[in-house]
Amino acid sequence: MSVTEVVADDAALRVTRRQRVLAEMEAADIDLLVVGREANARYVSGAPRLWTAGSRAFGPGCVLVRATGAVHLLSTWDEGIPDDIPHENLYPISFNAMNFVTVLQGIEGAATARRVATDALTPGTAHLLPMAFPAAELVDGEPMLRRCRQVKTPDEVEAIGGAVQVTERALAVTEAALAPGTTERRLTGVFMEAMADVGVTTPGSQDVAWATSREQAWRGHGRDRAIEAGDLVAFDASVVVGGYAGELGRTYVAGGGEIDARLAGRFDDLWSRLLDALRPGAPLSDLLAAYETAGVAPPPMPIARGLGLGYDLPLVTHALPGTAADQDVEAGMVVALVGYVWEQGVGGLYGSEPVVVTATGAEALSAHPIRDTRSS
Amino acid sequence: MPAGLMTSARPTSIPAEPDLARMRRERGERVRTIMRAKGLDALVLLGNTNVMYATGATWAFADSGRGNFEQPVAVVLADDENPHLFTPVREDEGLQLPADHVHGPVYLDFDEGVQQFVAALAGLTGARPKIAIDEWTHAMRRERTTLFASDAPPDAGKVISQAKLTKTPDELACMREGLRITEQAIAEVQARVAPGVRQSDLTATFLRRIFEEGADANILDPIWQVMPERLADGPWTTHGDLACPPSTTERELREGDVLWVDLGISYAGFHSDFGRTWIVGRAPDARQQAQFEQWRAIMDAVLSVTRAGATAADLTAAAKEVAGDRTPWMTHFYLGHGLGIDSAEMPYVGSDIGEAFDATLQLQADMVLVLEPLVWDDGAAGYRAEEVLHITEDGWEPMTDYPYDPFSCHAWNPR
Repeated sequence: MSVTEVVADDAALRVTRRQRVLAEMEAADIDLLVVGREANARYVSGAPRLWTAGSRAFGPGCVLVRATGAVHLLSTWDEGIPDDIPHENLYPISFNAMNFVTVLQGIEGAATARRVATDALTPGTAHLLPMAFPAAELVDGEPMLRRCRQVKTPDEVEAIGGAVQVTERALAVTEAALAPGTTERRLTGVFMEAMADVGVTTPGSQDVAWATSREQAWRGHGRDRAIEAGDLVAFDASVVVGGYAGELGRTYVAGGGEIDARLAGRFDDLWSRLLDALRPGAPLSDLLAAYETAGVAPPPMPIARGLGLGYDLPLVTHALPGTAADQDVEAGMVVALVGYVWEQGVGGLYGSEPVVVTATGAEALSAHPIRDTRSS
Repeated sequence: MPAGLMTSARPTSIPAEPDLARMRRERGERVRTIMRAKGLDALVLLGNTNVMYATGATWAFADSGRGNFEQPVAVVLADDENPHLFTPVREDEGLQLPADHVHGPVYLDFDEGVQQFVAALAGLTGARPKIAIDEWTHAMRRERTTLFASDAPPDAGKVISQAKLTKTPDELACMREGLRITEQAIAEVQARVAPGVRQSDLTATFLRRIFEEGADANILDPIWQVMPERLADGPWTTHGDLACPPSTTERELREGDVLWVDLGISYAGFHSDFGRTWIVGRAPDARQQAQFEQWRAIMDAVLSVTRAGATAADLTAAAKEVAGDRTPWMTHFYLGHGLGIDSAEMPYVGSDIGEAFDATLQLQADMVLVLEPLVWDDGAAGYRAEEVLHITEDGWEPMTDYPYDPFSCHAWNPR
């Protein structure tokens, strides 16, 4: 079905998400929530806004009022804005920080709010927010947003699955274009074109292909070097649909052929251990341990990243062992689970699969096996 | 290269090839000079574009949601010519930092990650350093007494804003290449515009072509806005003015649609910008050509006063004098904006920062300014385009020479 106008997120999805946030605000005794991160604003408002790449400094992009449930949103127009956000709650793009202060001062309860949560700060906003909320203590809103966001509703799992399907389609086109002589940058272009051909114009990442090195575990040859026959080329593909990220990682041999059997065997062993570790109630550090018991060196990238509106928690990386040990796997989490095995003289085998945690274990959201083989 | 693209627009003041080592050295000197003037020992930078500017690192920007968790972080020390970079990026061929200045990633959204960063930072700075930051996570805020000498650290973003305000010749050369890549891609897109083509099809062609030409990343969902004939036919807005820019969909173009195009890419740490008005499947009619002539008249008036030393208010006054009653730019944007490390940066001309600000903001030589006036002709949509200028002591030079087709346009006369 083609999408020919900008529309708000589905009402049921919106209501469920916002209720979760309001319940967390109640529990944490937060009067007002001010978010700048686009994923948080989308979660709270259900409104799609223009996709931009890269990080964005904190600004008051969306405000949720606990007492009334009202959403105030940075949007100069009403296209795609849910009907439960009235016109008077929209405020325009501005380059004048004092105009934002005026907007915030006009929100119900601003003058008397005792606890205002934000998802980040800048030195400038740390100075300005007290002008809008003179009675308030500024507190951390991220923990409660993470609690809301990291366990998905069935509708959210379906939305992520939709994004995964688009990613699969675009990846299939890209993989078919993998031939000796092409470059990582060109393959990224092929992926982007294939994604937009499906009707989606918002990627999750823009570094799609990586010809792994035989000499170093965390290097390649540059985005413009001609890929050679026999190179192990890792694809890390991600597409954002309706705000939700789908992500898929696979490795193919340039020019066709089988992946080195020993490397593949090590990967398969690691992968089954990772899937076993992802069961409700187990600490997330079991994923780190799976690498250890498989005898695979800790990879340089995170090995599990929550998928949702962009990246959610959990984020599991060998760089944060304490964080992983402190949190358990929960049913309803959706993560991009990452396997990476590298061998000197051979190269890297990378795989990333979006999986949803169910009561009985991990279920893949894509239709393609993690170690996809191609016949060309 | 199609005729007319970048064949005539390289002023002699812009080198054909940038010297990247010199560019980074000069930047570093600027940043550290400002730091010393402000009494700062170190900058901690999280914002993607600030990190790119300070370190010369480049990478392909991800979706903003992913960007929060895969965030390169820079530490600039006042007494070290090389910044430190903590990065999750796999490789960066152009990075010219010593190996002992490139570190693994830090995860500043997590208490454990901040504690690791605090320890690393302590190894780089002396005791009780005066540190400025551009953004805080709450995990950093919890450690603020160990991270920063004061409870309210200064804004490192202002240091970068000041440093990047004017561009060096090498930076201008990089920007020109980014604009060239953009316009090469746009030439192919424009050839594809026809009734029945979807907006998303134009994006498909654009994205493929920018990567083929060497772009590092696309920076926003490219805009191919079908304009309503009348303001009242468009979406409701907070100010009663135009709604622009909306997200792209699979809407099919129809003959006669007036398309406002706006987009940009990232190349070598710089953003490009491009804006034009196209008409689908038809030549402009007399009314549309008259809109364009009016737009040209506004541009000519603004350009006639554009030079180093002119104020933003001089430019807005020139535009308004020709435009008559209607302010000839979007209420929620500006007549013009700086371009470089960010898609929109200082100088802002005609923004809601206000007229008093415009009266005091003086253009300087080697600023890059994008002018984007518009003409709205209610009942027949309107014309909007953007022109990227290099400000000089005596006037300005165009950074590009992309044609205004399908409108007939006489050549610019730079001063």
